[in-house]
This record gives sequence, C-alpha cells and structure tokens, in this order.
Amino acid sequence: MEFGFSAAEQAFADEVRAFLRDNPLDRFPLDGMDAGYGSGAHSRAFMKALGERGWISMCWPESFGGRAEPMFFKLVLFEELALAGAPFGPLAGSWQTADAIIDYGTERLRREVLPAIARGEATFWQGYSEPDAGSDLLALKTEARRDGDHYVIRGHKIWSSHAGIATHGLVFTRTSREARRSRGFSMFVVPNGTPGMDIRPIRSLTGGVYHYEVFLDDVRVPVELMLGPEGEGFQALLNGLDSDRFWGRFYKAPALERVLRRLVDHANATGASADAGLRRRLAAMAAELAALRVLFYRAACLLRDGAPITYETAVAKIYADETGQKLARLGMDLLGPWAPLRPGSHEARVDGEISHAYLTSLGHTIAGGTAEVLRTTVAVRGLGLPAEPRKA
Amino acid sequence: MDFRPSSAQQLLVSTAREFLKKHCPPERAQQIALDSRGFDETLWGRMAELGWQGLLIPPDVIVLVEEMGRASTPGPFVPSAVVATALLLAAGSADHKKRLLPAMATGETIVSVALDDAGNTLVLDARGRLRGRALFVESAHVAHALIVAADAGDDRRVVLLPADRRGVERRPLDAIGPEKLFEVACDGVSVVAEEWLEPATARRVALQAGALARTAEMVGAAQRVLELAVEHAKTRVQGGRPIGGHQAIQHACADLVRDVDASRGLLYAAAWRASEGAAPAADVAMAKAYASEACLAVARRGHQIFGAIGYCEEHPLHLLHKRILAASVDCGDVATHLEQIARAIGLRA
Repeated sequence: MEFGFSAAEQAFADEVRAFLRDNPLDRFPLDGMDAGYGSGAHSRAFMKALGERGWISMCWPESFGGRAEPMFFKLVLFEELALAGAPFGPLAGSWQTADAIIDYGTERLRREVLPAIARGEATFWQGYSEPDAGSDLLALKTEARRDGDHYVIRGHKIWSSHAGIATHGLVFTRTSREARRSRGFSMFVVPNGTPGMDIRPIRSLTGGVYHYEVFLDDVRVPVELMLGPEGEGFQALLNGLDSDRFWGRFYKAPALERVLRRLVDHANATGASADAGLRRRLAAMAAELAALRVLFYRAACLLRDGAPITYETAVAKIYADETGQKLARLGMDLLGPWAPLRPGSHEARVDGEISHAYLTSLGHTIAGGTAEVLRTTVAVRGLGLPAEPRKA
Repeated sequence: MDFRPSSAQQLLVSTAREFLKKHCPPERAQQIALDSRGFDETLWGRMAELGWQGLLIPPDVIVLVEEMGRASTPGPFVPSAVVATALLLAAGSADHKKRLLPAMATGETIVSVALDDAGNTLVLDARGRLRGRALFVESAHVAHALIVAADAGDDRRVVLLPADRRGVERRPLDAIGPEKLFEVACDGVSVVAEEWLEPATARRVALQAGALARTAEMVGAAQRVLELAVEHAKTRVQGGRPIGGHQAIQHACADLVRDVDASRGLLYAAAWRASEGAAPAADVAMAKAYASEACLAVARRGHQIFGAIGYCEEHPLHLLHKRILAASVDCGDVATHLEQIARAIGLRA
C-alpha cells in the first residue's frame, strides 16, 4: 500500500507547472468548444505547444520516437493541465489512437500519422455512434466494402466530437456479416477531406458546437489505413473502451477540484461561506472529489500493471459524471439568480463557468456509455449477475 | 503508487478472516449482540493471543478492523486497543504506559474512553474533583479503567481513572445496535495530578486514530453487505429467474460496489498517510464523513435488495447495518468531520 508520487513524477509535475506559469493560457487561441469533461477547449496552438515539449509522445517506445516514460507521467500531465483549466481537449484521443497504432498499426500509419500526433498536429474524432446505433453499438450499419487495395465506406456517423476541426476520423464499420454478432467489424483512420465525406455541425443546447454528424458516401480508403486486424475491430474496441472510459475521464477529478476551489473562493467573497448548510455541501463535495480521484488512481494502477479490469473503469466513469453533475448543481445553487448567466455575460459570476458546466454535464452520463449501460456492465461483468436475455 | 495491501497485510487479512469464521461466525456474533452483557471473554482472549490488541500500526490495524467489521465482531477493540492505546502512547506517563499498555495488549485490561464533546458535561475543579457526566461510553461495564475528557477552567483536561473509583457510576444506555453504551456519571470523584494525561491535545490524535478505525469497520461491514446482497441476487428466484437478472437490482448492486470501493479508497489513502507521519486530519475527516454516508447507503440499499427476509432478527443484515450506524457517529459524526473539511478547503466561517 503506497499512495505517494515518485520523485520523478513530482519533478515532472513541477516542469508542467513551470510551463503553465511561463505560458499564460490566454496566449493560446481556442478553436473548439469546451464540453466540460475537464480537458478544456480544443486548441491546436496548445496541442502544438505540448508537442514541442515532447509531452504527447513521451510515453511511446523509443523506437517510435518516444522517451518511454512510465504511464503515470501522462496522469501527472493530465492533472496539472486540468487543475489549471488548460485547453487540451484532443489529447486523450491522440494518445489512444497513438497507442493503437503502436500496438497494431500498419507501416503507413506509423510513418505518416504517428509523427503528426507527436507534433500535436493530428487529432481525431470517433465515428462510432450512428442514428440507430447508440447504446447498441453493434447495430451499426456503416459498411466498408473491399475494392482492390481500397475499402469503400458508406454510412452515417453521429455525435462525433470536434469532427469538423480534427484531422482524422476513427471510423468503425462492418466489413463482413458473421454468425457471431460481435465479429466482422473493422476500424479505419480516415483523413478529413477525403472525397465523399460530409461533416455537418450539430448545435448543442449550450448554443455552441461540439458534435458533428458525418455522412460517408462511398469514401475510398486505402487498405493500409485499417487500424487493427480485419473483422476483429470490436474486440480491439472493447479493450479500448475500458481504457477509453479511463482516459476520457481521468482529468475530471482535478478539473472538478478546480471548479470547487472557485466556488469556495466565491463563497468566501460573498459571505455565503458562513452558511452551515452550504459549508457541509461544499465539504461533502470535496470528500467526493477525493474519492473520485482515488477510484481513478486505483484503475490507473490496474492498467499500468496489466491487471484484469472488469468493472473498475466503468464505476469510475459513472462516478465522475454523476459527481460532476452534482457539483454543477451545487454551483448553480450557490450563485442563485446569477446562476443562469452565460460566460461573457455582463455581471456573470465565476466567469459564467458554472452555467456552462451545468449544461455540458447533462451529456456526460450519456456519452461514452450511458450510466445505465455501465451499471449493467458493473453488475454483469464485475459482479457476475446474470445478463438480461437479448432479443434477437 | 500501489493500492495492493502488502504481503504481510494480506496474510493478516486471511488469518483474521479464517479466525473470525471459526471463532465468531454469524450465529455467534448474533448471540453476543442479543446478550445484555454483550462481551465474549474467550473471543477477546483469543484475539489477544494473536497479538491483535497490541497491533496499532495504521495500515495493518486498519485492514484488521475492516475484517472485524466484516464479521460483526463484538467487543471494545476500537475504544481500548485503538483510541485508549493511541492516547496512552501519546500522552501517558512512563508509569501509565508500564502499568497499562502490556496488560491491554494481552487483553487482560480494557480501557474505555469518553473523549468526545457530545453529551459531556464533566468539569474538573481546582481541588481535583470531577463532576458531571459523559455519554456514549462504549463497554464501560467491562472496562478496568476509564479515560475521560473534562473542562478544567480554561483548559481541557484528560484523566485516567480506575473504573471502580468511588463516585464513578456507570449507567447503561439502550441503543439499537450490538454496542453497549454507558453514561459515566461522576459525583465529586477525586483525581490526582498523576492521573492527568498530557498534553490533553493528544485527545485529537487518539480520536483521529479512532475515526480511521471506525471507518475501517464501516467499510468491512459494507463489503459484507455487498457480498451477501450479490449472493442473494444470484440465488433468489422469482418469476422463473434470479432477481439479479433484472436491471433494477443490477443497478442497485453496481451502486453498492461504487460506494464500497470509494470508501475503501479514501480509507486506505488516509491510513497510508497516517503511517507516513503526514498530518492526515483532513484526509481522515474525508474518509470518515464519506464512508458514513456511503456505507449507510449500502446498508439501506442492501435491505431493499434482500426484501422481507432482511427484516428478520435472525438475518445478519441488520447487525451489519447497526454496526455501520454506530461507527458513523463515534469519534466524530458526519457534521463534525464535514466542518473539519470545510476549514481545510479554506471556507471562512
């Protein structure tokens, strides 16, 4: 049992803090909405700055241009960036894609895409969901048909984050009909702008654009852009989903801690901090955030050690998203009549950040596996309860 | 960072689980809980033979108490072997330590504590007379000595008394749980300076050790509720299928896992920091406040999953539930710990 950080991890945290001190965040223009997950807005300039420091590729093997740092360096970077409210939106997706390319990517992906990820230039949207394939992902209809040394993709993807400003899509397709429902799926790395691809924004209830829908009308993709073995895409994706839940939410605890600190400052400034009920709610929230952090670090240790994960990342994701909603709700309570003011509004308090957090948090228990689907995962995969019969 | 208990801790846990399965099975725990004296000397003595009462190293004693919570083990372990022992180590004179600690470690001597402010009206006057009463003193009826906090003018004084000192009266309170609680009333009890434990601020250290141990009890008991509830959900068949095949029950079970895991995570993190010597006041407060809410939620949801059978006295569920309830209010209740957190995160009063 040991809960501290190593000297090397602490030294790296200092390095990241120094970078953030020397580079005020307002120097980095934002080009995509902050969806409240804790990774901030989408900023190409910020991603490039991370790339220049070698931080995007720091954990890759040396043969792939990395420095083979331990996985916990990524956690340190996430924590420091999230505590500062930095705009590193695409980073988790870049890391995951890079890991997949390192594990089973083709020579071409390793040669063309990997260095662009390291420089912070290549970012990715996930083409998983479809209009009729949400929680039931395997109901997807997008097909990739082999045609010589190309695949031809036809279908309709939706809820793809930042698809309009990213450089590549990770498009999950059916490549063959198999007896087993989970067989016959393949993943492609498709450059934006490939002929036949039509990316359209979906305006969200925040008034901003985060999601896109993507129409794929006979999009021709070279065979070398398939990521992972043909037909085994779902198994690869499933393993990916465990780490997706982890990497897509790890930064939430420190990001929420930052929000809580802002609420504490605000309560002190307005005198609301003297209210016994509010003190208790804020204190209970601090304890919940500490618990959330511990859940993620436990999952991190399992991932690091290659230990089996059945439910741990699912529990952590559920908890992250529901706690985030609770904190936003508490923040709205604290702000009272000021609560609904938008960021940038005249008289907005806490920079209008809370109203944005409140609205975006509504999507978090839906995206990346709904809280209900994940609770079923915890019960069936984690506790061994019998699965509900599936209708054919 | 490493969440796994050390191999020594794992050995301690498996030994404790085996031992408690044999010497404190659910039927026995039930029997002692329903008994008015509620103390099993034989069990207490056997635990001492294993060296449990003399353990007191933060991460080790924590995983041990977790097992006791899991088995609903009765007895004054936390007040005597954790709180009183920690206090005597921090504030006892050489004579106190020599006279009491070895005998406490062997289980021959039991020391009860009244350190909490709630319900405590004890005053120690300038002539060394103790008057007033302390409430919620666990296992005072089997204690050989008492440690009580009292007002002494400007100061808070902590004193150590033989339980049979003239003028000390122990009156039972009747609680819903298996713990035996007492009012300790003092009517002009004479106290000499040799009986002061100094510094009196060591009371905080002892209460913190107690808070951590109570958290471990809650986590252990909640873990057991989780195991029993999942087992029940798999085996209880209604309408032709196990109730655990229904999403309503599955999702309830998923929430039990979350509550137990998160509570245990905070517990271990605080215990580790305590063992490293870093000031863990806010960490302990977070673990205790959080686990109190979360583990009680586990117990209540457990009742819902079990349905009618869990309402019976002979079913183990209520004992686990009551153990969590009792632990949640001892060594600082939720409100007390939340206020400590509120100050730690910088909320101005």
